[in-house]
Order: sequence, then structure tokens, then C-alpha cells
Amino acid sequence: MVIYTPEHRRLMEMFEPARHQEYSDILSSLGGFMEKQILPISSKLDNGTASIKGPRRALFEQGMSQIPFPAKHGGLGLPFSVYATAVELLGAADASIALSVEIHNAVAEGVFRYGNDAQKEAYLESIITGKKLASFALTEPASGSDAGTMATTAEKKAGEFVINGSKMFITNAGEADVYFVFAKTKKGPSAFLLDAPNKGLKFGEELPKLGMRGSKTREVLLSDCCVPEQNLVGEEGKGADFAKEMLHGARIVVAALNVGISQVAYGKALTYAKHRRAFGKSISEFQLTREKIADMKSGISAGRLLYLYAAKLKELGHDYSSEASQAKVFATEMSLKVCDSAIQIHGGYGYTTDDLHRHWRDARLLTIGEGTSEVLRMLIARRELARST
Amino acid sequence: MSPEVWAYSESEAVSNEVASAAADVAKMSSADVVVVEIGANRSGVKAPGTKLLLKGPAGPEVSPEVAAEAIARAAKQRRPAAILIGATRNGREIGARLAAKLMFGCLSEVSRVASDGTTLSGERNAFAGKVVAKVECALPAVATVKVGYYPATGSSPQGESEVDVGAVQALVSVVGRDKKAVGAVDLKSAKVIVAAGRGVKRKEDLPMLEDLAKDMHGALGCSRPLSSDLGWLPEEHHIGLTGVSVKPDLYLAIGISGQLQHTAGMKDSKVVAAINTDKDAPIFQASDYGIVGDLYQLVPAIKRALAARR
Amino acid sequence: MKIAVCVKNAVDETELKIDSGGKPVLTGAVTRMSAFDKNAVEEGLRLKAAHQGEVVIFTVGPPESKKTMKEALAMGADRGVLVAGDPTAIDTMRTASMLSAAIKKSGPFDVVLCSEGSSDAYSGQVPPMLGEMMGTAFVSYARRIVVDGQTARVERSLEDSVEVVEAPLPLTASVVSEINEPRYPTLIQIMQAGKKPIEELNGDQLSPAGGYRQASTAAMSAQHSARKHIMIEGSLDEAAVKLVDALTKEGVLSK
Repeated sequence: MVIYTPEHRRLMEMFEPARHQEYSDILSSLGGFMEKQILPISSKLDNGTASIKGPRRALFEQGMSQIPFPAKHGGLGLPFSVYATAVELLGAADASIALSVEIHNAVAEGVFRYGNDAQKEAYLESIITGKKLASFALTEPASGSDAGTMATTAEKKAGEFVINGSKMFITNAGEADVYFVFAKTKKGPSAFLLDAPNKGLKFGEELPKLGMRGSKTREVLLSDCCVPEQNLVGEEGKGADFAKEMLHGARIVVAALNVGISQVAYGKALTYAKHRRAFGKSISEFQLTREKIADMKSGISAGRLLYLYAAKLKELGHDYSSEASQAKVFATEMSLKVCDSAIQIHGGYGYTTDDLHRHWRDARLLTIGEGTSEVLRMLIARRELARST
Repeated sequence: MSPEVWAYSESEAVSNEVASAAADVAKMSSADVVVVEIGANRSGVKAPGTKLLLKGPAGPEVSPEVAAEAIARAAKQRRPAAILIGATRNGREIGARLAAKLMFGCLSEVSRVASDGTTLSGERNAFAGKVVAKVECALPAVATVKVGYYPATGSSPQGESEVDVGAVQALVSVVGRDKKAVGAVDLKSAKVIVAAGRGVKRKEDLPMLEDLAKDMHGALGCSRPLSSDLGWLPEEHHIGLTGVSVKPDLYLAIGISGQLQHTAGMKDSKVVAAINTDKDAPIFQASDYGIVGDLYQLVPAIKRALAARR
Repeated sequence: MKIAVCVKNAVDETELKIDSGGKPVLTGAVTRMSAFDKNAVEEGLRLKAAHQGEVVIFTVGPPESKKTMKEALAMGADRGVLVAGDPTAIDTMRTASMLSAAIKKSGPFDVVLCSEGSSDAYSGQVPPMLGEMMGTAFVSYARRIVVDGQTARVERSLEDSVEVVEAPLPLTASVVSEINEPRYPTLIQIMQAGKKPIEELNGDQLSPAGGYRQASTAAMSAQHSARKHIMIEGSLDEAAVKLVDALTKEGVLSK
């Protein structure tokens, strides 16, 4: 399977007319790397017979997390749409690694935007080069979409913040070197950089997930967990705003990830449809199969264009929160339909083969994670209704 | 004097094939076949024409560097119309070196070598086998002949002559040679795969197929029932939709019915051969060569046929 | 140590289109670095690491070939030399001749590396021709190269055996893909490759046409991809022999 396709090249030509050749060379090389080093072990990551650590490290060494950050911080200074496309490619190669890396990168984005110089100095380059693995700890057992009701607290005491509470469904938890943790101080939700290991930091058992099994998800338990006061990120009490902003960008990336999952599931279904025979002919000759193929393909094209559109708006400095949400809602829901059709086309094999149904299982997370479809729809509608005309 | 078509290979067996190719070309262009030997005559080398011994180098085993120089010197004296070399790895080096030394065109690894007296032509694969190309070159020319395409000639030489090419100084010297170890071959890179299916009745019968695979310098694979259901082979050997996808040069399906879930994993093989007792087995639709028969008798028969070639 | 690596901007056979007449469409075909050239570049880089020096990439081809040279530069080569020439008008002898002239002009080099053959034509002629024209020792199908002082010890991968040879520097060699695992350039290396110099030379000036007979391609057609469905008849032994013969003739059974 070729991950960076001629279709991607054409889109790059449209979106980045000046430097499309250069960007395509980069993504093509990255895609080639993923085909050889990530794709072949993808099913093993799902069934637990391979660890995410080696391949993830190799991806960092390639420069995956450096793509959207400026050169002065060790980044490659490439447009956000190039980064989003890179995550699409990674989503096609292996969704679990894509999730782990995308969350890690979201923390890098947070440090970049809201961190002070000392924090950027201490963390940014190490995170984007993969020397430190990062984890984003916002969600709690009793607060997901309404992050403002978080129960984890941070009390200021003698040059430190003491954090108490727990976080739930945290990707990379237990493996990460640094946690971007949200906790309420007297002034409201605030963001902190928490280094691991830490005496007050413990983790629950690995959570058994439906999909995305290559990536590790755990509960994070903070019990009198102390961070130095200089690890407060940005203004105290502004944490909720930071989280919202960070998530807008992440939504574009998640949309791209699911387009990638859809692409690989679709590719397998298309191949199978051509070769499987029933009633004396290839099943690809049946109208209802053709309908599925057409719908899958259109959905993927639409999903891809929506995330690229949102990415371009972000690059150009426009408000992109609604478009990011549109892309995420559309692409994640589309990917479930595509992966479901892919299972259906494979018939019994679709139901009984891990390597086929895992695409749906992987995709299923993302109508929930990084902003549920319900909440995002509210966001989109609210903006539409707020227009003056 | 008739033009000459020369034939040479460092391997006796291949030399006899090249001699057949030379005979074809000679017939088409009213030329004489000359089988070239270097240093000393080899008893296993036959000639449907005359033999030409190049005296000077210490033969009969010579490096491609020495062979090319010796043949070039002789060619400058005798001016053959065409020089055919067996396209072994050494042969391909010899052919190209000769072309550069003599300023001749070179046709590489060709089959169906032909000549009309002024042009030498042949057919070869290009673009990783996607395309068949007809290539040609004005005489005098060099061609390296595809190994295994031509039958070995059994004719005895009808005369011998010699050319003194003098000693050849070689820059490259051979200091050692080892037979290649036939180790465990990985399915994905194997050039030959022997695959076992339900037609194999017992696990104890697998070594017979594994032996056949080894004889062909290949690897052993299987269809899903043998790995997933019966556990006779580890999952890594399972070729199919939910197993490994392979694209060897030769895929030999033994006792495999050929359902889609298996053929999906080997459909890109260059050549597929199958053995099955059921003449209606779908595997034959996916094969280039098929034999309807009992694998327990055919596999040993194939082993014997392979041994007889050597 | 100065190392030259010859790289071809070959037609990408996976993207090659066949027209309705069964002919391959070569004009405007997608091109990329010939498959095994990466191994040659990697070997050059390993020699550079072991002996300190410079790796220079040589390519004969149209301006489009620069993208392939950049891939080699991204892997770590230092600079490139592009000999301008139209690949459809050049044959192996001329290619070798242009490479030889360009390498001599930029030289002297201690080691000149090529892959065993290009992934599109796979004639494997250029490396030995280049060796002859360079006037150096030439070794083909190298699967291991070790340089000690002015001598190279090379393991050659032949059909059934591995032959060990010694040759003096300067050495020209063709390598097989089993020689190494080519490195992946990091994204940063890819971006910086654009800054490495590529010198452009005129092919016609370096090596005028003529003086030798040129092999040419008279016709090309797509391979028939459908299975042959040949059922082999006869007694057990007859059928077995026929099968082995057929497979030998197909070239898929090594002797």
C-alpha cells in the first residue's frame, strides 16, 4: 500500500502552489518510512504482540513532531496543513501510534503557545524531538465535556503547587516524561507541567479499550503531587481557555487521523471486492457493492478537504474553531461508516479478522475523544446562530 | 569464409545452452558456431560447430575480467559476427566488458536470439517484468543469453582451433569461495515458495515438502487450515488474505484448493504451479501450470526430476 | 576517501501506464530513484563514515533527475553532478561514457559504486562498462566491501556461492541489495538537501555520440498478465519432468 498517493500530491499542489514539490518530497519520504516501518507491525500493535515504544521513537527521530514548529525551537517550520497530512498518513499506517503522537504534539503546541521562555527552553525542543514523551491530562472520571467542573485541585504552598485528584482516559499515561495537567486553583482551572516520575504521581491499570490498543491509556492518580511554581503554564485561572484553544488545533489533526483510518479500511475493501466472487461473478459487479464504494470514496474525499480547509484557515490566522469542529465531526462519523462498510464488504472475514475490524474499533474512539460530536455540534450551531444576518 | 557466432560461459552446463542459442543464430544467418574455451578444454562442454581454445590464461576457470580480455583479444583477431555469453552473473559482467572493449552493442539477458545477417535481436523483460522488449543491434554484437531458456546441446565438436591471446594481467584476484548457506528463508523475500494445503494429510508429511522447498532454494508456506486450525506450522507461514502476502518468482501450491482467502496472498507471484487431486479445484484457475494428481507421488517425482538436471 | 555513487532517475515501474495498444507509456512517466541505487548510496555513506571523506552523486539524465539526486543528498551525500542528457536518446555505452568522463573530471575517486542494475531496464551493463572506461579494477555483485589501505576485499554474491576477491584501489563496483539496509533521511535532512550543490555538465560535450554500435529497443509490449492455465499430462515421472522443464524455461528455477 502506498501511503502518500498521487491524490495527496494534487491536493498539495492546490493548497501550497509555491512549495508543493518540496512538501510532497517530505511527505512522500515520511510515507515511505511509515509503509516500511509502521504499517507492517500495525496488527501486532493491536493484538499486543508488539510495543509502541520502538516505532514511536523511530517516528520522532524522523522528525514527525518537529513539522509544525519553528526552526528556532528545533522544528521544521512547515505549514500546519503539512503536519495534518502527516497525521493522516500515520493514521493509515497505524491509528494507535497516530493517537499517541498527536496527543504528545498537542502538549508541544500548548508549551509553544502558552509557555514562558524558561518553560519553552526546558521542554519544547525535548518534546518535539521525542526526547521527552508528553501526555495531556484534562479529562476526569466525572468531568469530560464540561472541563470547567474538574475536581482536581492545585494548592499553592511554599514555592510549589500541590495537586490532588485524578484524571481519566489519559493517553501515554504511565509512559510519559511530562504531563500537561489541568487543576483548579483558587483562581480557576490552571495548567501545569508535571515531570515524571513524581512521588505523588501514580497510575491505574491499563484500560481495556475497544480499539487504539497499541496506545496505552490509564487513569492518573495525583496524591499530594508537588510541582515547582515555575511549572505553572501561563496565567493562573486561564487553564480552561488554553485547553479550548489547544483542542481546536487538535480537532483538525484528529479529523485527519480518521481520514487515514478510512483510507486504509477502504483500500482493503476495494481489493477484496474485486477478487471475491459470488453467484458467478465478482462482487464488485453488484450495484449495492458499488454504492458502498462510491459512498466510501466520496466520504474520504470530503473529509480530507474539510480538514485541509480548517488547517489552511488556521495557517492564515483566521478563526477556525468552527471549521475544525466541522472537520472533526464529519470525518470521525464518516470514518465509522467507511469502516463499517469495509467490514460488511468482507462479510464473515470482516467480522472474524482482527486486522479488518480493528479499523472500525480504532475509529470508534474519536467521535468521543477530543470533543464529543454532541459538544462540537453545539459549538458549530452556536457560531452560526450568532451571525448578525 | 562464413561469419562466426561465438558461444561462451564459465559454467559448462550454461555453455551448452548458449551453444544451442548460437546454433539458432548461425542457422538464420548462414554462419558457423564456435564454442570458446579459455586456457584449457572442458570435457563437459559440447559444440554444434567447432571449438576455439584461447591459449594464454591459466584456465579453464577464469575470472570474468580475464575471460572478457581474452575473448576481446581473440575477437580482434578472428572478428566474429556475434558473441553470445550465458547470462549468469559473471556472464553479464563479461558481456558488458566485451561491449566496452570492442565498441559493440550489447543485448542483455535475452531469449529468442535471432539474426538476419546484419542485425542481432532478442527479447527481454523490462520494467520489473511488466514489459517485454524486443531489442536489436547491428552486427558485430554481443548478447548475454537468458539462462534456462535454451536446451543444452549434446553435439560433439566438429573440429578445433586455437588463438594465442597471451597472458592476461588481472587486477582482481579470487581469494576464496564458499557455497551459499541455505538458511531459513523468509517468505516475503523468498524467490521460491512451496505451499502446503489440506491435501497434506499429516503433519509428519510436511518435511517432504520442506525438502522440496530446500531443493529449490525456497521457503515453506501454508494455507490457513494448516496454521490456524491444525497448528502444524506457525502463523508466520500462513499465506493468504489474513496471513502473509507474498510475490515470489515461483509459487508451488501443493494440495491447496485455491479459495480466494488463500490466492489473495499469492496472486502477484510471477509463476504459479499447482498440484491437486481435484481437476476442478479453483487453484488451477489461478495457476500457470497444473498437474492433477497425488502429491504423495508427484512431490518425490519432482524431486527426482530436479536431481536429474544437475 | 573520495567516493562516487552513480544513481539513475528511473521510470517507476509501479506507476507505469500501458496504453490501449499494450505499449508502455514512457513519455511523462513517473520517475524515481532506481530501486537498488539506495543501497549503493548507503554503501558509499558507510565507507565515508569508516574512512572520512566525501560522497559525490553522479547522474546522467534530464533536469527532472535532480529530485532523485536530492534523495541521495538527503541520505547524507555531500554534493551531486548531473550530466544533462535525454535518457531516451542514450544507451548504456554512452551513459557509461558520460559517467566516466564526469567522474574523471571531478576526481580522482578511490571508490566508484553503482547498483547491480537499474530497476527499469535492468540490463546491468553500465557498471562493468564504467569499470572498463575508468580503467580501474571492477567487481560486480558485491555484497560486502571492506577497504584496508589501498586494497579492497569484496564478497561477490553469485548464483550458488559467495566469492571473495581482492582488488586494488581505485575500485569500481556494483552492489547487490543484500549489502545493506539503506537509511531513511530524517525530515530535516530532506529539507537541507536542497542546499547541497549540484553541478550540471553538458553530456554532449563530455562524451560525443558515435564511435560504437548502439543497441536499441525495436518494440515493447505489456506482459500478458493472465495465468497460462497449462495442464500438464502424462505419467507421474513424465509430468514431473515436464513441469521442471517448463519452470526452468520460465527462468524461475535456479540451476
